[in-house]
Amino acid sequence: METDGSSALTAQHLVKIYNPDRPELAVRAVDDVSFTVERGESVAIVGPSGGGKSTLMYMLGCLSRPTSGSYFIDGRDVARLGDDALAEVRNRHIGFVFQAANLLPRRTAVENVMLPLAYAGARGARERALEALERVGLAQRAAHRPNELSGGQLQRVAIARALVTRPSLLLCDEPTGALDSRTGREILDLLEALNREGTTLLMVTHDAAVARRMRRALRIGDGKLEADGPTGEVLDGAPARASDAGGG
Amino acid sequence: MLLWETLGTAWKALGASKLRTALTTLGMVIGVGAVVTMLAMGEGARAMIEGKIRSLGTNLLSVTPGAPTRGPVRTGSVETLTWDDARAIAELGEVALVSPESMSSAQVRYLARNMTSSVVGATASYLAVHSYDLTAGTAFSDNDLLARRRVAIIGANVARSLFGNLSPVGERIQIKGMSFKVLGVLEEKGNEGFFSPDDQVLVPLSTHQAALFGRDYLSSIALQVASEEATSRVETEIKRLLRLRHRLGASAEDDFDVRSQQEMLQVMGQVIGIFTALLGSVAAVSLLVGGIGIMNIMLVSVGERTREIGLRMAVGARRRNILLQFLVESVIVSVAGGLVGLGLGALGAAGVATVAGWPMVVPVYAVVLALATSFGVGLVFGVSPARRAARLDPVEALLHE
Repeated sequence: METDGSSALTAQHLVKIYNPDRPELAVRAVDDVSFTVERGESVAIVGPSGGGKSTLMYMLGCLSRPTSGSYFIDGRDVARLGDDALAEVRNRHIGFVFQAANLLPRRTAVENVMLPLAYAGARGARERALEALERVGLAQRAAHRPNELSGGQLQRVAIARALVTRPSLLLCDEPTGALDSRTGREILDLLEALNREGTTLLMVTHDAAVARRMRRALRIGDGKLEADGPTGEVLDGAPARASDAGGG
Repeated sequence: MLLWETLGTAWKALGASKLRTALTTLGMVIGVGAVVTMLAMGEGARAMIEGKIRSLGTNLLSVTPGAPTRGPVRTGSVETLTWDDARAIAELGEVALVSPESMSSAQVRYLARNMTSSVVGATASYLAVHSYDLTAGTAFSDNDLLARRRVAIIGANVARSLFGNLSPVGERIQIKGMSFKVLGVLEEKGNEGFFSPDDQVLVPLSTHQAALFGRDYLSSIALQVASEEATSRVETEIKRLLRLRHRLGASAEDDFDVRSQQEMLQVMGQVIGIFTALLGSVAAVSLLVGGIGIMNIMLVSVGERTREIGLRMAVGARRRNILLQFLVESVIVSVAGGLVGLGLGALGAAGVATVAGWPMVVPVYAVVLALATSFGVGLVFGVSPARRAARLDPVEALLHE
């Protein structure tokens, strides 16, 4: 299998089976999912709870390995990498935004944003972290600790932390799930703006209104890719595009 | 960069619950403190003994009775040395001074006050052989011995206990109900291992044997050899002489012991060394307990910070970064405890040194040992919690509540 390296990510026949060694307990959480995301796209991953969205996202985020299949990030197959190499991929190529901001409580905003750079061994970490805070509009809060920030501000710090290593892919898991609707809209505005500037955006959500902010949507149900296409069509029940869903 | 992040995280994590961190270090504080105190005490006692050896000189010999044995059964008594033995030894060449001594314990009384002290029957050479000086009064004369006079020279403690601030010279004290005139007071010497010369009362040996205790054997014969080189020659001479005098056959063992003062103090030093090692190893057990305490708290900490570990993995921490993080924290806790323990141990050693009257010595090896041990304990007992943290599955860690 090969890709031309121009896509942000390519999943080919991704399968994740929990308890693969014990047939009576084995669960096919993700079942033969293939798709490609080009650079600069914004993609929503939607589907019912327990349908495999989260499992897929953890694989796409290199937090877990597929049982079988291939997964390319920037043209490199990362499906079989070791723990250290995966950690490096997460560090360099992927930025995570979770439902909870998951900031370190006794660190200031800028120190939290610097955390990925510490593991990258990068120079000028503070300057780069301040730049990232600037991009999310929180430069003036750099010296504040999490308990001095609002929910929306916390999530902005988390986004800055995800951006600071200039990843090719921003992976968001219900980023507005814990916020009120107005703050949630602001966060989505920010993510959209980042996407317009060129950041590839992948967003797992069960909220149709959130999903509609993305241009493309993948619907995952029962571990399978059920639909893939423009968000409006997918959410309104269109079938998967045969060319992408079927794979080889 | 990563080093600062690791140290900063450790600092914040340990600072987050100061009381818990302090309690965690307590085991190491006590363990290291106890070990350091023990080692310093041992060194202090050794330094004191070495000081005594230097001040005593090497030309002192001590002859003590020793019972012969037949198989495992002691067949003789310890009543083998006599004044005549001492007189015979005095006739040997190269012997400068001979002090036959007989020591017993008895109650000494002055008016309403009394105390139990070592009553030593001695001759005029006693003071010279042991290099004791008088702070008041005079020593025995030969006439006192010949006439078995009831006169006494008392130690500094005895004078203080019985007379307080009064001058004892010329007063009469009661020993075993008999009245003795105090001739003089010994200068204060401090403890000499298991025997305190300040607690003794000297009486003429003849009086001691005839009037007080009614026995004619000696506890020991101390003697000064004319020169240091002659010591071993004299030792051999004494053995030959005493075997002859005691009519010991060729196959019989000596019924006495001849040792130099130096040897006796060295034996005492060895005894102290064994005690130190014994107490030190008991103290070392609390290091083990301290290590287990650290491991326990680190396991709790890993559990509490599971989500943080998951997040760190998500943003690119390798397993070894996580491992190192928790190892650094346990080592910091342990070494901090070790440092505090070192300080307290030094204080404890200083306290003991003041009470016991020996020099305060905290040997360098004890400091190095304390720090190395606390570092090692932190490392050894931190490994298991740190490995547990590093082996967490990133997804499960992130989902942990």
